[in-house]
Amino acid sequence: MQAWYLNENPYPFVPPHVLDAADSVRGSLPNRYCDPKIAADLFQEALDEYLLCDDIGINVVSNEHHAGINCLLGASPLILGILARQTRNVRILSLGTLITVRTDPVRVAEEYATADVISRGRLEIGFVKSGGSEMASGNANPIGIVDRFWEAIDLVLKALSHRDGPFSWEGKHFTHRHVNIWPGPWQQPHPPLWAATGDPTTSAELGRRGIVNVMVFRTAEETMRAWGAYRKARTEAGLPEPGPDRFGHTAFVYTGDTDEEGVRVGSKLLWFLNTGLRSAPQYGKFLPGAVLAELAPALYATKPRPGVPPAARPAAGLIGITAEQAMAKGLMFAGDPDSVYRQIREYRERVGPFEHLVLASRSGFMTHGEATKGLRLFAKEVLPRLREL
Amino acid sequence: MATRTERLDVGGIALEVLRRGQGRPLLVLHGEAPLDPGTPVVDLLAAHAQVIAPTHPGFGHSTRPADFDTVYDLVHLYLDLLEQLPPGGVTLMGLSFGGWLAAEIAAARSRRVERLILVDAVGIKVGDRETPDILDLFNTAPAEVERRRWHEPAKWTPDPDAMSNEALVGHARNREALCLYAWHPYLYNPRLARWLGRIAVPTLVLWGASDGIVTPAYGRAYGARIPGARFEIIEAAGHHPEIEQPGRFAERVLAFLPP
Repeated sequence: MQAWYLNENPYPFVPPHVLDAADSVRGSLPNRYCDPKIAADLFQEALDEYLLCDDIGINVVSNEHHAGINCLLGASPLILGILARQTRNVRILSLGTLITVRTDPVRVAEEYATADVISRGRLEIGFVKSGGSEMASGNANPIGIVDRFWEAIDLVLKALSHRDGPFSWEGKHFTHRHVNIWPGPWQQPHPPLWAATGDPTTSAELGRRGIVNVMVFRTAEETMRAWGAYRKARTEAGLPEPGPDRFGHTAFVYTGDTDEEGVRVGSKLLWFLNTGLRSAPQYGKFLPGAVLAELAPALYATKPRPGVPPAARPAAGLIGITAEQAMAKGLMFAGDPDSVYRQIREYRERVGPFEHLVLASRSGFMTHGEATKGLRLFAKEVLPRLREL
Repeated sequence: MATRTERLDVGGIALEVLRRGQGRPLLVLHGEAPLDPGTPVVDLLAAHAQVIAPTHPGFGHSTRPADFDTVYDLVHLYLDLLEQLPPGGVTLMGLSFGGWLAAEIAAARSRRVERLILVDAVGIKVGDRETPDILDLFNTAPAEVERRRWHEPAKWTPDPDAMSNEALVGHARNREALCLYAWHPYLYNPRLARWLGRIAVPTLVLWGASDGIVTPAYGRAYGARIPGARFEIIEAAGHHPEIEQPGRFAERVLAFLPP
């Protein structure tokens, strides 16, 4: 197995009374509540954590969200550029630029190719469909995301892999008549590809394309359903069985000296779910297309209806979760090194082999010191054993 | 009064059409939701006119072809429908989003349209670049949208717990369809205001006095761009005068129809 470190770089320092009064911690919270001096410290700490990972053999992950306390990485390609230069050894995963929000995938391809070249071929490209408040922040139509997602991917990949001068793209969602990026990527024909999804239909398409399917805070049941669809689609297409390197899992991970410390400090990571996910209904359940129209009765009704199944969005059901619940669901691995290793091994036995473990190991009010301690312990005591799996 | 809901084949699309009444044809293009056959205004209008109210493909429980997803498609669909109606003039009335469609059709000078009625219509940009004309129905808190939609929000805001499953599915599909057609540019065509001067039929612009989605000032600016258009306010109504003041609304509409 390989480990990947993700720090979404949240900004938790908004006064609680402001958060309590706000209908959403993303999308609409005024940026006057974000002190640039504190943000600068957070960026420096996060980048230092990534450099530590570079030394101790944990790959690094940068992601992207906009306009909220959950994540300051709105200008994701900038972070990628810094990582490409400042790290020297590890792989760098972008998970990812929000391609359903960006209007020109060719520009995205240029950014990726440049980061791949600066890093001398250490870039991996992850695609996410996005949704929620990102549609408001990105001025992007929430209807038609899936269609736009695949067309953007096709255009990014063609821009990255095309070597013969300008080509023209006149698609449904994107037009660009003269595509010719310089430089092309270091890795030919393009860097390795990932996508984050727990949706079985999307996973099936990832399977047919051989793209790494990474789960982000998904339960074991959702994971098995998605990966099952991935395998089945490959079988049906007459493609070889996927190896474990096609699958990844993202979890809150904290390794302490003792179980008590691991769980106590690790519990701070759940801030991401309990505070960072709070979103106004217009960005969430009432965003057109967020949930199938057929599920509207459960969505709109304020009282239970006989015969109507619940229609919670995947992440919404996780708000308010306790450490014990998160650990039982495989969303969090925490404890001393033996416990963390055992929890990961058991989870892997439950959902099937996966090569990539993304460590969401700093969030909320966890300090830089706590995060680096946990990462060092993980790299020294847990990772060598995981590599044997 | 007898209602017929038909499926009309228009250019290969099975269009759902509500029909009620006899006589002078009144083609009604709906706003954020298809015209509810049970709403009093339908009977009031149908007592003196032939109401023809199609459901835009994708709204309510209607189907939408996969390659049909822009206002351009809707405008051409209704230009086709107008050609298919029995010979004679038609009064075209558009409510809210349907008002945008009606204005486009009238600016295209369909030879079948003899009168135009715009009701709390969207479709043009009149304010400066930092002043939105149209309340953002998608990015605004739902309670605020309802507060600005109605003259009497307490009376008219729908109670989801009192709605059938079918109605709620229809409501969700309405939002999806509107979002698909009109997310960007948001509920307007940046070019339409330039061409409203082409509208060459008598036009009535009707507006709810308390409309907080598109204000009466926007309605006045809309009407001012249409040669000879009359602008009238309906008191004690918001974005939906046809629902909040069906009697006064029907009176104004019927008075404007050709003899």
